[in-house]
Amino acid sequence: MPLYQYIVRRVLFAIPLVLGITVVAFLIANAIPADPINANLPQSALNNERLVAAFREKWGLDQPLHVQYLTYLGNLLQGDMGVSIRTNQPVLDDIRQFLPATVELATTSILVGLLLGVSFGIVSAVWRNSPVDYLVRVLALIGVSFPVFLLALIGLSVLHAQLGWTAGPGRLGFLVSRPPHVTGLYTVDALLAGQWATLRDALWHLVLPSLVLGMYVSGIIARITRSSLLEVLSSDYIRTARAKGQREAFVILRHGLSNALIPVVTLLGVLYGNLLAGAVLTEAIFAWPGIGRYAYRASTSQDFPAIMGVSMLIAFIYVVANFIVDFLYFFIDPRIRYA
Amino acid sequence: MNLKPAASTRAIGALFLGAVLVLALVGTSHAQETIVIGHAEITEAYDPAHAFNPTSGMVNRIAYDTLVTFPDADASAIEPLLATSWTISDDGLTYTFTLREGVTFVDGSPLTAEDVVFSFERLKNVQAQPSFLADPIASLEAIDAGTVAITLTAVRPSFLAELANTAFSVTHAATVRANGGTDAADAAESDAAQAYLNQTSAGTGPYVLESWSPQDRTVLVRNPDYWGEAPFFDRVIIVNIPEAATQRVALVAGNVDLATDLTPDQVVALEGEDDIGIYLGPGRWTHFLLMNRDPEVGGPMADPLVAQAVRLALDYQGYRDLWAGSVTPGSNMWVGLAGAYGQDQALERDLDRARALMAEAGYADGFEVTMHYADLTWAGVSLSTNAQKIQADLADIGITVRLLPSEVQVALEGYRNGTQGFGYWFWGPDKLDPVDFLEFLPGGKVAGERARWMPEMIDEATRALIARAGVETDADERMAIFSQLQDYAQQDSAFAPFSVPAVQTAFRADIEGYVWHPQWGLDIALLSRK
Repeated sequence: MPLYQYIVRRVLFAIPLVLGITVVAFLIANAIPADPINANLPQSALNNERLVAAFREKWGLDQPLHVQYLTYLGNLLQGDMGVSIRTNQPVLDDIRQFLPATVELATTSILVGLLLGVSFGIVSAVWRNSPVDYLVRVLALIGVSFPVFLLALIGLSVLHAQLGWTAGPGRLGFLVSRPPHVTGLYTVDALLAGQWATLRDALWHLVLPSLVLGMYVSGIIARITRSSLLEVLSSDYIRTARAKGQREAFVILRHGLSNALIPVVTLLGVLYGNLLAGAVLTEAIFAWPGIGRYAYRASTSQDFPAIMGVSMLIAFIYVVANFIVDFLYFFIDPRIRYA
Repeated sequence: MNLKPAASTRAIGALFLGAVLVLALVGTSHAQETIVIGHAEITEAYDPAHAFNPTSGMVNRIAYDTLVTFPDADASAIEPLLATSWTISDDGLTYTFTLREGVTFVDGSPLTAEDVVFSFERLKNVQAQPSFLADPIASLEAIDAGTVAITLTAVRPSFLAELANTAFSVTHAATVRANGGTDAADAAESDAAQAYLNQTSAGTGPYVLESWSPQDRTVLVRNPDYWGEAPFFDRVIIVNIPEAATQRVALVAGNVDLATDLTPDQVVALEGEDDIGIYLGPGRWTHFLLMNRDPEVGGPMADPLVAQAVRLALDYQGYRDLWAGSVTPGSNMWVGLAGAYGQDQALERDLDRARALMAEAGYADGFEVTMHYADLTWAGVSLSTNAQKIQADLADIGITVRLLPSEVQVALEGYRNGTQGFGYWFWGPDKLDPVDFLEFLPGGKVAGERARWMPEMIDEATRALIARAGVETDADERMAIFSQLQDYAQQDSAFAPFSVPAVQTAFRADIEGYVWHPQWGLDIALLSRK
């Protein structure tokens, strides 16, 4: 199958997926047995029928559900995600504002997780059943099962407050002024503006949260890498490579790892999506103004346009991440090309 | 700007060098005093006509001024701010304010009555969260540049207290209009100034909003032309730290000077730390017992003599010892309100009199009763702890109390339906005005719906007094009326208020001037550094 055909097929698959997500997200958001009026108007205003009616009309809450949905879909096709009830701003603007913080953190976290996870996985597989293997496996188990928010709190109070080894909460020191907005990623913006001190501070503030989230990611990756590498290392072509007298390190890294990483790549797409969508608690504890907090606040105040916007965004991220993963397969796994 | 890559790099380099030089100069000329406040931000707006929550209250308190205000720590009086004086018409409907002279907005324009009219009309017409506050206003008139008249749709003695809300901040009409604002009747659709007012302020307050990055931080700088006494800090940075646990870490590590949202147990744990200061002051919640006046529901508790015995049997000092910094209220009127009875006028425990009242009511041998309450900790106070103490206190006059805690929504159901004969509840004033107390007197919602204490159960004179309290607008007259009503409630009432627990906050030890206020929380302009 040629590359272009492969890509077109993947894109076509994504369309019903995204459409299905709009339906499900819309129904779930509306199924909550509570009235957004209660969440968005103060108590004293609720007694005022004029204000309540005006609120319903303004947000289209007086329309039947299917009309609300079709209106939403129509606007969405024109790139209009609506206006948030809470912030009174276009949802797209809100997302633009909160997404970069999350992207920055998720990206560094996945890098940390990948680096640690793959290294641990290799060590564990190569020295299988040795004390090192047991240690790594226990660490991986802790990484996966230890609540991330607790790790975050312990990290902050011990590593930051008591020892002063890491930066405190926030994306930048509280007294540091923000770099001029270009991408919203402080590291990139500081770099573009040539603000080296700000860049250093932004990186410094990424260390602890990335380590905390990366611990979780590395736990999963280490386990997959280990089992996958063990399987590969017992295959015939590895034995052949060894028989040819190639150096063990070369055999493991070149022949073994490149094949063993295929399931890890699959996992990366999902994990990155998870990090972008599901780091609510970590964002709260590190005072990280990201999309997770935005989603949480949108759902607690039944801000339908914002809930829908975030759901669409997350769905989109998953679709894109998996699309990239599929795309990578095409190159790293020849079997797909001939399937 | 169309620069070649090399030129743009050089330009950036030059800019950077320039910035470093400027910073170095500023750094050597004089030290900027900056305060960093850790706060769980919950606002969606700073535009005074749209914002209605603790975060915007704290920020707009220092970015804007209202016509009138409260004292620093409570709502015990109405004080002048942008209005130096005011009169109320004989029919109680028209309030005429004389504006302070020499007040300018941040752009240098003088404050005029037109600005007041514009701000309040806009508040009313944008139909946003706080707009209901302006609903009682029938019309506004700028009589001359320095005089504004507000006419209400009905007599409303609490109007001045409501005017102290930051929703009634006076904004500069011309600036707001120039940025898309309007006070027209269709402002709900046509006003577009919110985006502008969320990023900068157009007020007369001690500070100017410099920037707001939602969920991240809010920066304010000192207003150099402020009409009043200049605040201590040049710059205020309010950083959003949603988690109380993180606020504690940031405070201990010195990242922030003050944390606004610590839990009481976190504050207690910080006590004794050298570099941490603690504030304790009366909070806004009054804890009280409810004794239903319907004999079918209340049983012996419906007897006014028993209710009085209960009020005399409570060990008020004990509740103060239990909750550090708490005070005993003299009535169900919140202790911070104008004319409210506080600890000095509160009842004291008198077991002999209480026992005599029990005997007079025919319960010399006591009785058994069930006490309903919500099983929760509210603002750091465990209701269960208090309930056990109530049980012990009342045992001293022969009342055997069975405790019946339940989940808060369940308990509320019985409370709101008036089916609890004996209950333990708490109340925070809806309006920071004495009329709030009328809820707890016959004719009021709490008294009628929850305690079945009806107007026909009290004498004619007291009924008339209550009716007057709802419409009297003269400050001295009101004081006299509410004193009489509190005296009355100490003798005869379906309620027994017993504790106003403290508010607790922690800050770095070099911060001075912290005062908590029930309206705006924290007034940053009062803070300074040792």
